[in-house]
Amino acid sequence: MASPDFSLSVADCPLIQVEGWDGTLGQFESSLSTSLGTKLPASVGETVRHKGFLVIRVAPRRLWLALDDGAQAPSLAVDPDLGCSVSLDEGRVRFRMAGADIARVLSKCIAVDWRASAAAPGRAVLTSLHHVPVLFLRTGETACELMVPRSFSRSLSDWIADAAK
Amino acid sequence: MSSNHKRLSMGGRIDREQPVDFTFDGRKLAGYRGDTLASALLANGVTLVGRSFKYHRPRGIFSAGPEEPNALVTLGIAGRREPNLPATTLELADGMVAESQNRWPSLAFDVQSANGLLAPFLSAGFYYKTFMGPTRRAWMFYEHFIRKAAGLGRAGTDPDPDRYEVRHAFADVAIIGGGPAGLSAARAAAAAGARVALIEQDFLLGGQLLAEPSDSAAAAWLRQTEAELESSETVALMKRTTAFGIYDGNVIGLVEQRDPTNRQPVGEARQTFTMLRARSIVFATGAIERPMVFSNNDRPGVMLASAARTYLNRFAVLPGKKIIVATSNDGAWRTAFDLAAAGAEVTVADLRASLPAALVAEAAQFGVVVRAATHIVDLRGGHAVRRATLNGPDGQSEAACDLVCVSGGWSPTVHLTSHLGIKPAYRDDIGGFVPGAFAADRFGAGSMMGAYSTAGAIEDGHRAGTQAASFCGKSGPAPTPSKLDLGETAAAQLREVLPAGRGKAFVDFQMDVTTGDIELAHREGYESVEHLKRYTTLGMGTDQGKTSNFPALAAMATLRNATIPETGATTFRPPYTPVAIGTLAGRAIGHHFKPIRRTPMHDWHMTNGAEMLEVGLWMRPYFYKQSGRDVNEAYVAEMRNARQAASLMDISTLGKIDVQGPDAAIFLDRVYANGFAKLPVGRARYGVMLRDDGIVFDDGTTTRLAENRFFMTTSTAKAADVLSRLEFLLDTAWPDLRVAVTSVSDEWAAMSVAGPKSRAILSAAFPALDVSDAALAHMGLLESEWRGRALRILRLSYSGERAYEIYVGATAGEQLWSRLLEAGRPFDLKPYGVEALGALRVEKGHVAGPEIDGRTTLDDLGLGRMAGKRTGFVGDVLRRRPAFQAPDRQRLVGLECIEEGKRLRGGAILFLPGEKPYGHGRGRVTSVTFSPERGRYVGLALLAGDVASEGSEIVAVYPMKTETVRARIVSPVFLDPQGERLHG
Amino acid sequence: MLRIECPCCGPRDHDEFRYGGDASVTRPAHDDPDPEAWYRYVYVRTNPAGLHREFWQHVIGCRQWLVVERDTRNHAIASVDLARKLSARKSPARKPPA
Repeated sequence: MASPDFSLSVADCPLIQVEGWDGTLGQFESSLSTSLGTKLPASVGETVRHKGFLVIRVAPRRLWLALDDGAQAPSLAVDPDLGCSVSLDEGRVRFRMAGADIARVLSKCIAVDWRASAAAPGRAVLTSLHHVPVLFLRTGETACELMVPRSFSRSLSDWIADAAK
Repeated sequence: MSSNHKRLSMGGRIDREQPVDFTFDGRKLAGYRGDTLASALLANGVTLVGRSFKYHRPRGIFSAGPEEPNALVTLGIAGRREPNLPATTLELADGMVAESQNRWPSLAFDVQSANGLLAPFLSAGFYYKTFMGPTRRAWMFYEHFIRKAAGLGRAGTDPDPDRYEVRHAFADVAIIGGGPAGLSAARAAAAAGARVALIEQDFLLGGQLLAEPSDSAAAAWLRQTEAELESSETVALMKRTTAFGIYDGNVIGLVEQRDPTNRQPVGEARQTFTMLRARSIVFATGAIERPMVFSNNDRPGVMLASAARTYLNRFAVLPGKKIIVATSNDGAWRTAFDLAAAGAEVTVADLRASLPAALVAEAAQFGVVVRAATHIVDLRGGHAVRRATLNGPDGQSEAACDLVCVSGGWSPTVHLTSHLGIKPAYRDDIGGFVPGAFAADRFGAGSMMGAYSTAGAIEDGHRAGTQAASFCGKSGPAPTPSKLDLGETAAAQLREVLPAGRGKAFVDFQMDVTTGDIELAHREGYESVEHLKRYTTLGMGTDQGKTSNFPALAAMATLRNATIPETGATTFRPPYTPVAIGTLAGRAIGHHFKPIRRTPMHDWHMTNGAEMLEVGLWMRPYFYKQSGRDVNEAYVAEMRNARQAASLMDISTLGKIDVQGPDAAIFLDRVYANGFAKLPVGRARYGVMLRDDGIVFDDGTTTRLAENRFFMTTSTAKAADVLSRLEFLLDTAWPDLRVAVTSVSDEWAAMSVAGPKSRAILSAAFPALDVSDAALAHMGLLESEWRGRALRILRLSYSGERAYEIYVGATAGEQLWSRLLEAGRPFDLKPYGVEALGALRVEKGHVAGPEIDGRTTLDDLGLGRMAGKRTGFVGDVLRRRPAFQAPDRQRLVGLECIEEGKRLRGGAILFLPGEKPYGHGRGRVTSVTFSPERGRYVGLALLAGDVASEGSEIVAVYPMKTETVRARIVSPVFLDPQGERLHG
Repeated sequence: MLRIECPCCGPRDHDEFRYGGDASVTRPAHDDPDPEAWYRYVYVRTNPAGLHREFWQHVIGCRQWLVVERDTRNHAIASVDLARKLSARKSPARKPPA
């Protein structure tokens, strides 16, 4: 019997990864910031919302641009002396979860403290779900997303659905 | 139905409006909501509850908590059957089915209690002396009978229908124990602003306060404090939850029982394993009362004094009418007074010669008979005590009784702190062990720290709660400490072993260890507590010796004429109370045992006859049922098709890594044993990586997409290891190289088309692309798009045939797979599975996992020429160490079966003809296949270089099937050594 | 269970990490031909009872390699730092491109 206070839906998850070289990170970031027309999240786990995409810092020198549904990818010209980019359009899926029961369900899935400031709305947490690396994105008081590797997505959505029973 | 004839008409914390039916050994009995199984059995006058482990002696209910050594029962039927549960911790629920253990044919008449008559032979060390060592064979013979006779309950074998859950939780302050100290700590920490988890194993909060009358000041304090905590949003009250282990980083393992009185537990886990991560911990685990050691002290009807008080005041059960309270301290007198007030005839036998006048006066008021300087030496009564022999100032005397309450003082519960490696420290003033020094984030409070009075525990808890919150940076205004003074006086402790009668005097009830066993251990030199424990099995029962630990130390200290701290303390390890393995596994069983990886073409395989195989976490097609009746028939057919027409393989499981940056070529030049710096753009190259020690790490193909960009593939098995290793080198060894490595394994669906007709199939499937040999030469790359997704075609061969690897965006994988099959139909294109893939590569002499096994070098595998004279790559120096050049070093060879109708097997051991097949042999067979080309079994093997001359014979021995097969040593390339088929 | 405080991600359970061995040994330069240096790097360990510098990668997280100082007697972690930050000190800083 599924919890009436929890929902899970699955969608594609277009991403672009950009990474700057060590030593010239400042230049890379200011150039990227200009080209995107937005400031960048300062530390790992922070996100910045911009028209059509969310910028997430996933590592000290690595950012993900997560495109909204149907949004056009921003045009990026990364100077190869400063960094590089790689399209991660196909390799992940996005689980959207919501409902009053969400914290209870997720406590059976990931070791993330729903009430911690590191998991507050707008924050991203790279963590493990049943030993698989996932990106947890807190989107609201009782809503969040998980970006999970496509090959594991069915196994993991089963795992979550089972937790919601 | 039996009556609750031992139940009082009033009082207690049971709900008389809610009767509960249960059965014990098939007898229908009733209790009330709020009972434990133990209290309900006592209320029904059931005193005999189980038989002991070794001597099958009758045993009753000894305690009222998790320290219970005797009253272990099996609960539930069929798949829910669970043995060895203490009746004292089981919350009574409707329909509960409990059985006594370790008795045959019945609890009251047990034939093996004759073991008691054999007792002189069953002393400590008996099994070892008799059945191990020189007479080991005797053990082989007797083991079956002994195992049947000894032991506790039996687990069920049916699948468990219940659900178990694993959960993560977080808190600022975790407080373990919901007695006065824990409650007070929770109140203080919550008031300071901390997020608190209060953990209590019982289904009620209160700890020892539950033994106080339900209309007392203590009960009022408890109600008020509980209400306060319940209304606090920052306090999680976790009842029915046992902290079974404390781990590094303040991770606490909890097991929570589902409320058994919940009649509709749909979907709710029967038990939940919670990993609680706390910033600070308050240990308020209380203390456990000590028994007294005298002859026949294990008889049903002997009970800890505090337990008798709990049964009386919490459960409204008067467990006896004629009661002797044997004690060494003031506390047990409370039990005597309460029992007397409830109508029992009570005698206090206190060890002390001089007794507190106030207690003696109070005893007179209650009509309690007081005997100073008196202790029990022996008891009589089989299934229930009848008479006690007392030894007092006037010599020995007899007294009739139906209940004996004992109290040898208290031992702080230091089990959990012991898990953290905190050594217990002996405190002479309380005659017991308390935890030694705590780290800054851990605190102790209440009787576990030796603060035995309620007032002291509450005060101590308040202090610990405040400090624990403060450690987490929470120091809001402190509440007024709440007060409750029950006027307890200091607990004097029994520190010595008293002279007993002639019958057995038990120290460890559950393991049937007596004072005689400890004396024997001492005589034989097992004086250290750790040796004593192992020699006598003391403390090794499911109760981990909670009641026996201190009396045993005292006994050994007396024998050694040493102090207790000199004698030492044992180390307690998790779990505090037994935890079912199924609870720790939670939902990670069956298809959730591990996460499953599916390729983009998974559904196609499932609906098109693939037999699937687990390869690591991946599900891969093993073979297709339409290819043959079984795997052996199918893979040969699939191989033939690849050699004669064309075959399609899902290779999406390969590891794929995007390597980018101005220094990418330099980086690859260092990580691969063969060079990549000069690889032209648009070309692929097979590469081998070594470990630092010179052993082969992994192999794969890397393609140069652009000047600064490469596309690396790894083996399926090593994908994660390779990426991590590349990151390691970049982060720790060569941080100056500007290179980014990213896993793109899940981005791409990958498939290989292999066979002489593969080019024609590509032309048909991609009419707009030029796949001619001029445009796409061997090891060439073609990049394009297909239905809006990126497309990469590499001309690579693993099978030895002309072949192409096609990579497309994962979301289009299944579409492209179907498109290729459709385009390939006129050319007989058929899918094949991993068995055929493995067979094709063996026939071609390509090494894979069985050969790259973490022990082989490039030279071993015949790949030394790849590195040539290059230097400066990972593993370059150590691969050239002398030991790797030894002439008898095992090297890759091919083997061809030369016996008609026989086969080679992977794992077979190789011997020279005529050599005795014994030991490790000269080498081993690593991979085999039936070769349609050669019409016989062929295989790859690693064989000592000094005997591996091509053309000579070798014998492959497979002891598992007692097979011996002759084979000829040949080149490992069984097919097309010139590589002409790559262009066929 | 160890809890390791990743400098990027905060405190995490050790099963999010991959152990990478002793971080106190010095890796020879990639083109160092001295077998003795490589032998020491690969095989020679001190195995201290006390603080031990070791590599851990936050592999199910930011994927950074870390240097963790752990007391082998009680698993108390004294420090955690990015390996790259420590190794960068040893290698010359790269000049920004003009």
